[in-house]
Formats: sequence, C-alpha cells, structure tokens
Amino acid sequence: MLIDINTYIGHWPFRQLRNNAAQGLLSLMDKYGVDMAAVSSLNAVFYKDTQEGNLELIEEIKDNKDRFIPLAVINPKYAAWEKDFRYCVEKLGMKGLELYPYYHNYDLTEPEPVELIRLAGEMNIPVHLPCAIVNVRQRHWMDTNDNLDLGQVEKLLSLCPDTDFIISNGPSHINAQQLKNASEGRRGRVYYDFARVEVFTLRSSATDFETLVKYAGIDHIVFGSVMPFQYGDPQFVRLAYAGLSEEDMEKVTSGNLKRLFRL
Amino acid sequence: MINYTEILKEEKMKLFKENKVVNWHEHIWDDGSGKLNEELCDCFVEAARKAYMDVVVCSLPVSGGEPDPDTIKRKNDVIAQAMDRHPGFIKGLAFVNPGYSREAVAEIERCVNELGMIGIKLYNQYFISDPVLHPVIEKCIELDIPILEHAGKLRSLPNVQPFLSDGTHFAKAAEKYPDAVIIMAHIGGGGDWQWQLKAIADYPNIYTDISGSVYDEGIIEQTVHYLGAERVLFGTDGSFSQGIGKLLAANIPEKDKIEILNNTKFARYLERGAK
Repeated sequence: MLIDINTYIGHWPFRQLRNNAAQGLLSLMDKYGVDMAAVSSLNAVFYKDTQEGNLELIEEIKDNKDRFIPLAVINPKYAAWEKDFRYCVEKLGMKGLELYPYYHNYDLTEPEPVELIRLAGEMNIPVHLPCAIVNVRQRHWMDTNDNLDLGQVEKLLSLCPDTDFIISNGPSHINAQQLKNASEGRRGRVYYDFARVEVFTLRSSATDFETLVKYAGIDHIVFGSVMPFQYGDPQFVRLAYAGLSEEDMEKVTSGNLKRLFRL
Repeated sequence: MINYTEILKEEKMKLFKENKVVNWHEHIWDDGSGKLNEELCDCFVEAARKAYMDVVVCSLPVSGGEPDPDTIKRKNDVIAQAMDRHPGFIKGLAFVNPGYSREAVAEIERCVNELGMIGIKLYNQYFISDPVLHPVIEKCIELDIPILEHAGKLRSLPNVQPFLSDGTHFAKAAEKYPDAVIIMAHIGGGGDWQWQLKAIADYPNIYTDISGSVYDEGIIEQTVHYLGAERVLFGTDGSFSQGIGKLLAANIPEKDKIEILNNTKFARYLERGAK
C-alpha cells in the first residue's frame, strides 16, 4: 500500500499545471500505484477566504472519498478561522490542517496560529507544513520570496507540544537535524517526507536519506510526491535505491501515515 | 494496485542499464588541503556505477569571487587526480576565470593538452556575453572543445550572483560565436527554466543539460520541445535521484531519451584525452 502526504488540486496562478483536477490526480495516482493521497486546495492558498477553496475541494473529490485524505487550508489571521476549521473537521470530515504562513503573511508563533495549532492537537488533527510549493529560485515575480521558517517551527514545537506535524518538500535531512532537540519530550510527533532528499552517496559517505533516518527515525518518514507539480518518478528512484528493509519500506510507504491519520 | 518501485527497478531502469550513459554535469571535491578527497571520490564513483552511468564529466569550479590562476590550477589538478584514479570513467572539464585572460587561455591549453581534459567549465564571474570571454571562447573553438557555463534566471532575492548568465546572455554569445559549442548548465537548477528555454531556442550551438534538483512536471518535455533531443545532455549536478527520475518520467520518445543519455554530437569529445 502507498499513501502520499502531499498532493494538490486546483489552479496555480504562475505556471500551467496538468492533472490538477480530481480525475487528473487520480490518473497519476493510478500510474504510480498510490492508493490514497492527502490533498489540499491550491485555490484555498490564494483565495482571501480559504474556506471557499476547502469547500470546492470537498465537492471535487466527493466521488472518490476512499482515495483522498482532505486537508483543510486555514489562514489563522482571517476572520472566523476557528469556526471554519471546526466546520472542516466536524462537518466536512477533513483529516488534517495545512498552513501557509509564507503566503498568508504571518509568523507561526503569533497568538492566532498557536491557538489554531493547539486546537488541532486537542482534536487529534495533524498539521501539515510544506516548506514550499515550488522552488524559490524559479518563482513568478508576483509570488512570495519566502519559504517555511524553520526557526518559527522550532519554537512552535514547544508552544504546541501535543500537536503532530508533518514537514514536507524541504531538505528534511537538515530540518530533522535542526529540530531534533525540539522534537524530543513532546507528546506530538514530527514527521518528514523525502521529496528533497538524496539516496546516493554523492557528497559524503552517508546519504542524505541515512541522515534523515538518523535524526527523524524510520517511524517518522513518509512518502510525499508534490503531484501534480512534480514528476513522480524521482520519489520511486529514492525508494528503489534507499536500501530499505521490507519492514521499513512498509512504514515509509504507508504504515507511518496510517498510524498518524488512524486509517 | 501496482508496485511502481519494483517496476522502476526492474523495468524502467533498463533504459540506463542497456544504453550508454554519459553524465555531463558533475563535480569532484578536494579535501581542504587542496588534494583530491579520495574517499568521497570513490563513494561518488560507486554511486554513479550503481546508477548505471558509464562516463561522468566532472569539474571543480570556484563558485565565488575572482579566483586567481594558482588557485585555479590546484582545482584543476584535483580533477586530473580523479581522472587518474578512475581512468575512462571520470572525464575532466577545466575551470578557468576569464578575468585572467592570458592565464585562462594557458590553463585551457595545459588542461586539454597535458592533462587530457575534454572541455571547460565557467562559473558566474562574468556574463558569458562579456567581451572579456572572447579569448577563452576563441581558444575553445580552436581546440574544438565544449564550454559548460553555470546558468540561471533566478527570481529569488537577494540576488547573490549578479553576473549569473541567463539564456539571453547565452544567446548573445552564441550569435557572436556560432562555431562555439556552448552548454547552458542545469535546466533544472537555474531558476526560471521556461525563460531559459525560450531565450536559447533559436541558437543551435547552445545546448543544455538536465541536471539540477528541480523536477517539475513537464520540464523535460518542454526542453525537448524547444531544443530537440539532439541539443540536450544528461546531467545530475549532485542530484542523482532527480536527474534519473525526471528522464524516466518524461513523456518523450525512447529514442530521445537514449540520445540525451549519450548525445551523439558530443561523442567525439569522449574519445579524446589519454586519461
């Protein structure tokens, strides 16, 4: 079984995307053998009222609920964020919270995001923090120049000790090392994907993937493709060459996310 | 549901296993004392062989400031040591700083004629269209060797590479020197790749390699669309998983993939050099 933590549906304003509706994304998932994918609304990232995007997403995936794990994009600096978040979880059945401080222009340690993230912890809802949507070097001149601020995340881990986090689409081997101390002694767990992690020994005798395992632990590594923005194959090159045992492969491809989302 | 990891390992990687694979963009590192880091070099070669690469073309550029001729010689000597350690598998490109015009030309001659290197590597010290490069480009035309230059159209701020060449600089250089063989480096590592492709599309003596960590869906299809597979080279630049994966994923004919893996126009360079 394969579960993907990081996919999108919706319009991207800065480059033409293919397969960015439910059927297109499903065709990619079928091609790559992805059984289930956590998915969020790109439209929600860009609408002032993110809830409109969340509602669109639920409508879009309504015929394939068994294949998608919908994540709610909430801007905690916008009116009625708590009401929207509760509605997403309690009425729409959304399974996770996804935050974009670098698009919605706030610091994760401000009171409202901390309150939202604590609430997510109380409700057993994991918080997904993508480090970026696309690489900063190639962004449109109207796009943000920022990525996820790991310093803010480090503080957040102690401010919200009961919340589970997934940090994706960044240099996870470096991030896990930086966040190791802050991740310890919490009830909540911290997970990482390996979408930007090398499995070949190119610039040191240990691979970046081995470094990620060392600092995060194999129980906290998950599969994330960033489809439909990125090709799927590089992720499978990593799986093919990471040298994982059958047991560890099962954890990375599905077991860890099954546990996190209680699937 | 299918197991794509197994399919990739057992079926798709046959593309690499059954065809000659020439990686035109990689680096080998020194150990801090100026000598080849042999352990890293051997790890790298082992990884490259594991990925079915047959030849890897390497350089050791200085990525900032105005490196002087002595520093540059030491860097190129490291590449020569790597070529000696893994003969036939590692081929070398000579890094030069065009700002030291006379010394740069002499270093190219030393590296090609004495050390057996097969081309040159330029970094971001000058735009490739800057007249200071003319003697260097003319020497490369005379020796019939390719020029691989670091490239990018970066949108992120601050701009830490003020003389980084983008596609428009390459176009100017190619227009002045239509006989030069110029590789605009890493289409997947130079920011706005759509800009880069559109800028060089009409200049047949500009090539690109597919290296870089970016593997946006469509990047390989668009590269082949704008340039044709005959102007595209396989490369990784420190990103094996991405370089291999994006070529495997691309929706282009198999014959184009094979051409990219071992670009026939560049085959003659590989036959050169005693090392």
